[in-house]
Amino acid sequence: MEQAAIRPLKRRAKWNRTEFWMLLPSVIVLAAITIFPFFFMIYASFMDYRLDMDHPRFAGLENWQNTLTDETFWQSWGRTVVYAGGGLILQLLLGTGIALLLYHIPKFRNLFSTLVMLPVFVAPIVTGLLWRFLLDPTYGFYHWIVRQLGFDVQILGDPNFAMLAVIFMDVWEWTPLVTLIVLAGLQTVPEEPLEAADVDGANAWQKIFLVMLPMIRRMIVVALLIRSMDILRYVDTIVITTEGGPADATKTIGYYLMQVAFRFQDIGSAAAVGLTMLVVSTLMGRFFIKVLKAEEA
Amino acid sequence: MQLKKYSINTALYALMLLCLIWALSPILIMLMSSLKTQVNMFEMPPKLFFAPTFESYREMFFGRGDFPRFLKNSLMVSILTTIVCLFLGVMGGFGLARGGFKREKDISFWIISTRMAPIPAVILPLYLIFSKLQLIGTTTGLILAYTTFNLPFALWMMTTFFKDVPADLEEAAMIDGCGKFRAFWRIVVPTASPGIVATAVLCLMFAWNDYLFASIFTNRQTQTIPIAVSLLVSQSGIKWGQAMATGTVIITPMLICGLLVRKYMVRGLSMGAVK
Repeated sequence: MEQAAIRPLKRRAKWNRTEFWMLLPSVIVLAAITIFPFFFMIYASFMDYRLDMDHPRFAGLENWQNTLTDETFWQSWGRTVVYAGGGLILQLLLGTGIALLLYHIPKFRNLFSTLVMLPVFVAPIVTGLLWRFLLDPTYGFYHWIVRQLGFDVQILGDPNFAMLAVIFMDVWEWTPLVTLIVLAGLQTVPEEPLEAADVDGANAWQKIFLVMLPMIRRMIVVALLIRSMDILRYVDTIVITTEGGPADATKTIGYYLMQVAFRFQDIGSAAAVGLTMLVVSTLMGRFFIKVLKAEEA
Repeated sequence: MQLKKYSINTALYALMLLCLIWALSPILIMLMSSLKTQVNMFEMPPKLFFAPTFESYREMFFGRGDFPRFLKNSLMVSILTTIVCLFLGVMGGFGLARGGFKREKDISFWIISTRMAPIPAVILPLYLIFSKLQLIGTTTGLILAYTTFNLPFALWMMTTFFKDVPADLEEAAMIDGCGKFRAFWRIVVPTASPGIVATAVLCLMFAWNDYLFASIFTNRQTQTIPIAVSLLVSQSGIKWGQAMATGTVIITPMLICGLLVRKYMVRGLSMGAVK
């Protein structure tokens, strides 16, 4: 980190101008498509703004007041916490477990990790479609298995199980990413502390929990942050499987925003909701950068 | 001792097998179902061995669903987005990696928070602006929308890849009389080319896999394949055969591309956190 800061200084006279001009187009394009819309959204959140209106009317704090006093808004955030929290915990536990498994497996580690990785490439919309097929009450394979085990529930049609189902879709698709990040971390654990633990008579579990996992703590935090930002980003699986239902059981904040904006066409309130989402994701992004920088140092 | 080790290994492989079944069975079931007749598809438990039929694919490509147009739109939008973002990202990433700008930290933070912004929160203001500019339903609009996440991604990734290339390399070239830009183009870009390819593949994948932007910003003429999936799921029922075939067509190219740059995949998906 220190080095990186000093080295370019030396060459500043020679290099800086070229680099400035190389970066500039990206900054201009990115600003045009992100900063401008961002300010536009702030503006919209103070306007009485509907999709069919040409000239929105100033509404003061009305949208904010309506949004922040709307029970559905808070419930949607609450469900988001359940969805993200449940998904992240499962992904972290399973992902770390599978990474440890891959680390200890004597042969074919590369082949296995490649195969395990495949769900990551599946488009989220296809993941949703696929799980809808597997959970279908008349011809779904997973539903059939559940029924063989003695439970007869319509998984996606039951408010209690629908949330669990969409969580599992996310877990299925993204656990492999956690696995691969953690595995990459495990592979950097040096030999010496492990040998020292051997000499001290530690068993395999002690080595895992007392030596390896503490050493790759940062990697685990990185995996957690990447996943938490992405879990907020996507609503595709919910759109194609439950549409926020049944009885709003899977209506997360992202889905709620889409509904307020494009079904109820209340742009002003939707903008307020969107800004609350941006605040949360920005805070997480800041934390992510901090962790990364700490790692480089 | 030998026996104990043997039984531990057996347990490890058994667990691994379970993980593989969990991870791969949905994909395999989709692939198999896309090759089954409507009747076979719904048999429980699903048959592993059956006479494959390409009926679902035939109907998808030549039926009334207009699938070839979806495919063409998807290809066009994802490839164009990738070209634009990669071009800007490679130049900008180098600038950011080597510029030693005072505000480098702030710029990086801005870039990553742009990439991480929740899609619904990005769609809303873009929708309003695009409708004023009459970009809704156009390919240009969708490409611009994809640029909102692919450009910051390409910039961020290329910055981390260029930081891996030792600065001495281009300095040596410059001492030998190479211009600044030429040193970048002839020396640094080739050295970082695996990273550039991996970044390109991921940009392609993010655009190709997107559903939400496409569902808002396209019309009948410009719809992409993920939209075709949602159109097959309707009130009156789901055409599962075609849906499974469409799903297979969506994921196959991405599986192939992903495996080709496997080594860099984790690095890309973890935003450079894993080297």
